[in-house]
Amino acid sequence: MIIEEEFAVDAALAHVWQCIRDPGFVAPCVPGCQDVEDIGDGAYRAAVKVGIGPIKTTFNLDIEVLEETPPTFARVETRGQEGTNASRLTAKSELTLTASGNDATHVHYKSDVQVVGRLAKFGLGIMKKKAKALGAEFAENFRNAAEA
Amino acid sequence: MEFHQPTTLDDALTLLAADPEALPLAGGATLVAMLNAELIEPSALVSLGGICELHTIEATPEGGLRLGAMLSHATLASEARLTGGNAVMRQAAAQIAHPAVRNIGTLGGAVAHGDPSSDLPAALVAADAVIEVAGPSGRRSIAAEGFFEDYLTTALEEGEMVAAVILPPQPESAVGHYEKFARVHGDYATLSVAVVLAMASGKCSHVRIALGAAGATPVRVVAAEARLIGSSLDAGAISEAAALLTAASDPVDDVRGSADYRLMLVPRLLTRALAAAGGAP
Ligand SMILES: Cc1cc2nc3c(=O)[nH]c(=O)nc-3n(C[C@H](O)[C@H](O)[C@H](O)COP(=O)(O)OP(=O)(O)OC[C@H]3O[C@@H](n4cnc5c(N)ncnc54)[C@H](O)[C@@H]3O)c2cc1C
Repeated sequence: MIIEEEFAVDAALAHVWQCIRDPGFVAPCVPGCQDVEDIGDGAYRAAVKVGIGPIKTTFNLDIEVLEETPPTFARVETRGQEGTNASRLTAKSELTLTASGNDATHVHYKSDVQVVGRLAKFGLGIMKKKAKALGAEFAENFRNAAEA
Repeated sequence: MEFHQPTTLDDALTLLAADPEALPLAGGATLVAMLNAELIEPSALVSLGGICELHTIEATPEGGLRLGAMLSHATLASEARLTGGNAVMRQAAAQIAHPAVRNIGTLGGAVAHGDPSSDLPAALVAADAVIEVAGPSGRRSIAAEGFFEDYLTTALEEGEMVAAVILPPQPESAVGHYEKFARVHGDYATLSVAVVLAMASGKCSHVRIALGAAGATPVRVVAAEARLIGSSLDAGAISEAAALLTAASDPVDDVRGSADYRLMLVPRLLTRALAAAGGAP
């Protein structure tokens, strides 16, 4: 499924880029993100807890920045699995920042997310809505933190 | 996984309070399917089948009905006291899946599961029902409209259960109707419209409308109802009300229909539902 979101931040492009490339800054903005570890060379490990009603899980994610053009573009690949390997997730994402004036930045990201395994038995329609809601929550958290 | 069969609500609540990973088991229609798909891994199941109080139907002093959480959809579908405006509940229950599922599935299970594409939540909102919740710190009542919070997410807190649903007395001369559109008979709704309508001298004097499968929760828009009240339910009024409901809807895209298709159904099903409830030629 394709998840595409955009949002505006009232802060200069260079500042927003600095924030978005700092795992210590981003992790608390990601809903359910429990811990993140910088393993060097643009690679990170994170655990993210997600759930819909009684269905709950934690994904252990390997995140790798494959390509970047500071301060405007990054291509990221995320692979993850539940502790039990019962479901696997891959996401190929592209992040684009555009300055809109001196103190405002437009953030756009597009992810192609694939889920296989037990969680794929769950309706894709709801999963997509959930992903969108989490994206909106992230945007809100990130905006507040970057503007502070 | 442990299996408990308490015979009183208090015992069930104690068991649930003792183990946050335990789940109440009603008919198992959804719970067992989720277990089989390995979507949930409860540490224990607390079966509610043996709790007498959950199987009762009583008239309330106000003139409404109190429906126990363990009543099956089949029981509701044939309950003669669900008349007038509250017939919306009988009709919604009668259109759930097939007889086998209606014999197993329960009111409390459907309410607690909070699936917006299921049939009872919209009917409950249209009927202005109240959910009676029992928990470790006693009982509380929550209007159906505020009970459903998100996909599969309700106002139930940890350790709480649905004990009953209270249907208020509906306005005199009110008629309830549940209009369900599904790909095939017995499927979940692609979209549904629940209405409770009363007409007086050719004009709408009361209306409550809730859409099923139109968003994360049943969709109700007070302004849409306000547009209809006092009107003769002419095509213009209905189309304005439908536009307000459509604007508030945010359905999923899935095998039962695209989001756009579901939105397109809103005015059509609303027109049918109001006509069936006696509001239009
Ligand atoms: C093949 C099939 C087709 C279906 N089609 C439709 C349909 O067309 N329309 C429709 O509306 N529904 C449909 N359903 C759903 C069905 O009607 C049941 O309402 C629903 O599955 C709930 O089942 P249950 O009552 O057995 O609850 P269970 O499956 O036992 O439980 C469901 C969830 O609710 C919790 N729970 C149960 N009772 C309570 C309580 N009193 N308090 C707190 N939590 C509780 C459980 O812990 C569990 O998380 C279908 C189900 C199946 C299997």
